[in-house]
Amino acid sequence: MAEFSLVAPRTVDAAIAELRSHPAHEAAVLAGGTDLLFDLDHGRDPPRTVVSLRHLPWRTLDWTGGILTVGSTLPLRSLELDPDLAARLPALAQAVRAVGGIALRARATLGGNLGRSAPASDLLPALLVLDAEVDLVGPQGDRSVPIDRFVKASRETVLGRAELIRAVRFPEPRASAYAWQRVRPVNDISQVSVAAAYSPGDHGWRVALGGVPPRAIRVADAEEPLRGARPAADQVARGADRIARHPALVGDRRASDEYRRRLASALYHRAVAAAVASGGGPP
Amino acid sequence: MTAEPASFRVNGRSVALDDVPGAERLLDTLRWRAGLKGTKEGCRTGDCGACTVLVDGRPTLSCLTLSHEAEGSAIVTVEGIEDDPVGRHVVAAFRDTAAVQCGYCTPGFVVALTGLFKERGAATPVPTLLDDLGGNLCRCTGYAAIARAVAAARERLR
Repeated sequence: MAEFSLVAPRTVDAAIAELRSHPAHEAAVLAGGTDLLFDLDHGRDPPRTVVSLRHLPWRTLDWTGGILTVGSTLPLRSLELDPDLAARLPALAQAVRAVGGIALRARATLGGNLGRSAPASDLLPALLVLDAEVDLVGPQGDRSVPIDRFVKASRETVLGRAELIRAVRFPEPRASAYAWQRVRPVNDISQVSVAAAYSPGDHGWRVALGGVPPRAIRVADAEEPLRGARPAADQVARGADRIARHPALVGDRRASDEYRRRLASALYHRAVAAAVASGGGPP
Repeated sequence: MTAEPASFRVNGRSVALDDVPGAERLLDTLRWRAGLKGTKEGCRTGDCGACTVLVDGRPTLSCLTLSHEAEGSAIVTVEGIEDDPVGRHVVAAFRDTAAVQCGYCTPGFVVALTGLFKERGAATPVPTLLDDLGGNLCRCTGYAAIARAVAAARERLR
């Protein structure tokens, strides 16, 4: 068992000050811990200090004005059990349920998933198509970063030194869906996943591909053929052909490149159809 | 390493410890300090659900919970599950349907199912309950009997 000292600051300012007082690689931030604790046991260079966010007032969920704001330390299980989530943001509801089992989601958080930016995150594809914004707080004050700029690579984000994720905002309800394929339905990594959402503002679609290195990405090529809330079958077929040719669909020990390409096409069809059928979006 | 005091309520009793290291897991606190060996260690990586306990009523992996993170919480382990009326029906359903082979996964299933009924209610459809139990593994692969126990528990509670 790794040894470290655990500190739990009472305020946001105290948490930032605590993080600033350690060399960057010697302190880790603990939200839910489901990813960090695995690393503390098995990682090569464990931190000496773990800064817990458990006392910070960020276990919140708010729907004011149709904008969903999720506090960074809210357990995913609380988000999942919100009575309005599945109707307003179906892709997010489905992506949350793709993370671990219920007893893992009792601990896991949206902030932790983003801050740790695991390469195969199931949440990132949904956040990409829903145009999520990440609210940060740090020594230089507050800032917001669009999700497509937040995660730079596997285990790499734009978070500065001693900077924390305070909340994630979803600007509007959207008809959307998240489709994935894996060997074991629960507690496994998606071989490929596809998220799709219709954006009523510009009548266009957002499509993201997950389970690919180095991280989930928007696929503009597969978005472009889709127009309007109910795209025609030939538009969907064209988008599916394009996503299957994406260069990130490479083979590894979990799936061959050929299988991944077939999956991407099938999951694209499934996600777009489910998004259209979801009736999600503005009431 | 720093060791600090920590206190919880476990199965309705107060447990106050004065030297819990920051890195200690709730699973180890329960098994080795509180002497509650009903909670099992399976994988210790969050893949099997054998270590599931209720933390403030919600099924939670005790292997991925630092003990200090659960400070002040009400914890229920399988030893205390029959003090809860819902838990009593769940245990009876597992017994009546003989949904136990080696028994190692059983505490995790019983605790998780009890928590699920409390979170979602007894009207929750069986497929949803089974889906939500997907994080619990039975290494004997005795899932057919476990699925019967889930349906039987739901019937008892309705």
